[in-house]
Amino acid sequence: MWFDILPSFWEGAKVTIELTLFSAVMAFFLAFAAGFGRLSKHKAVRILATTYVEVFRGTSLFVQLFWIYFALPLFGIMLPKMLAGVLALSLNAGAYGSEIVRSTIISVPKGQTEAAIALNMTPWQRTRLVILPQALVMMLPAFGNLIIEMLKGTALVSLVTLSDLTFVATVLNSSIMRPTEIFSVLLVIYFVISLPFTRGIRWIEHRLSAGRY
Amino acid sequence: MSVPLKLIYHEEPTRSIDNDPRKAVIKPIVTYSNISKSYGDLHVLKNIDLNIAPGEKVALIGPSGSGKTTLARLLMTLEEPTSGTIEVDGEMLWHQRVKDKLVKANEKHLHQVRGNIGMVFQHFNLFPHMTILRNVMEAPRNVLGLSKEEAKQRAVTMLEQVGLAGKIDAYPAQLSGGQKQRVAIARALVMRPKVMLFDEPTSALDPELVGEVLEVIKAIAAEGEMAMLLITHEMEFARDVADRVLFFDQGRIIEQGPPKKIFNNPESERLQTFLSRFNRH
Repeated sequence: MWFDILPSFWEGAKVTIELTLFSAVMAFFLAFAAGFGRLSKHKAVRILATTYVEVFRGTSLFVQLFWIYFALPLFGIMLPKMLAGVLALSLNAGAYGSEIVRSTIISVPKGQTEAAIALNMTPWQRTRLVILPQALVMMLPAFGNLIIEMLKGTALVSLVTLSDLTFVATVLNSSIMRPTEIFSVLLVIYFVISLPFTRGIRWIEHRLSAGRY
Repeated sequence: MSVPLKLIYHEEPTRSIDNDPRKAVIKPIVTYSNISKSYGDLHVLKNIDLNIAPGEKVALIGPSGSGKTTLARLLMTLEEPTSGTIEVDGEMLWHQRVKDKLVKANEKHLHQVRGNIGMVFQHFNLFPHMTILRNVMEAPRNVLGLSKEEAKQRAVTMLEQVGLAGKIDAYPAQLSGGQKQRVAIARALVMRPKVMLFDEPTSALDPELVGEVLEVIKAIAAEGEMAMLLITHEMEFARDVADRVLFFDQGRIIEQGPPKKIFNNPESERLQTFLSRFNRH
């Protein structure tokens, strides 16, 4: 039996990993854009960023996904399953991520900005050379959590019939009716996929904080 | 331009630049005109007028909360005055002229004038994610636009001057407080400002580390060309280094003069009370 079903799990795993990676990259950009947007001195930018964050944090990922996949077509926007999945996941994670970005940036001690001003750095130099490198290290653990959250969130896309791991497992189960084995394997595979992410983040964190204490 | 002001004081110990008859010829490097700063109902500085001559060493003493630090922070553009103007080397700092009207300076203008000023903070504010060398060479490289080699060379020379050439690859967290403050001094000096602000540079240090930092500042002061504003609670140090001492209390300059006069013959009662607290031990 295993000989037959493992290849389909492999296909599902590839979809899940792809989804996670694409969404992570996009969520990362959204998180920075919205995080900086909320700290902007322009009111319009702040309002835009805040609206995005509040809307996507305040509604469920499940509903967002359905809305993007089933409701958007009514406005004439038809998205491929994969794109709809990546969009829902990254918009959702980006909203949470922006809070990580915003809170770590404001938690860099004020004296750092003052020292940068005293050295006559431009606002962009202050951010790039002094604030961001320190904020990034603080962001990493939280971003690590977020990526794991997102990996697990990808299971939801099976509901729009995207053939990820969970989808494969449900389909297999309905044909061979061995839920214990199939869902145990599913658990293990998710765990195995999440490991490199956790390890990777920890490694980067370690590298970036070299010499600081 | 660089009139040796110290000589003036030595000839006429009771003079300060503000009432020196030669004031007209000595163009001040910094001029505070009618400067006030308040936070809501709290008036931190009240109508301060102050000139600092090029190369002059001015010590600011007074109780905490008297406005000394705010005076320095206004000049470093860390805080904006509520009213009044500040000029640096003949240029308005917080204002600029647009069609004969004084308007609030934009970042570009601040950037241009601020380059004349450097500051050393009470809590060092070193960049913890950079080595000592990078702490000192980052601004020459990025702000002054020096090449990597030039910036490095300048930084190393400066670190040698403060006695830390052996620590260039260490991170701030690996240094003692005194060493950190010496790095901070090197980091500010490497930009070659015309005016250096020292905001209680030894107040955050363990007593046994104060001496090494004061020695470094004294050595810099002895070189002479740079004007210095020293906010300090070290009275001995103020007496040794300053050309003029200003006593601040409740947002005003209560008394000023050469160190000898301020410390030996204080006129105002408030200064006498303030100094008696230091002489007790």
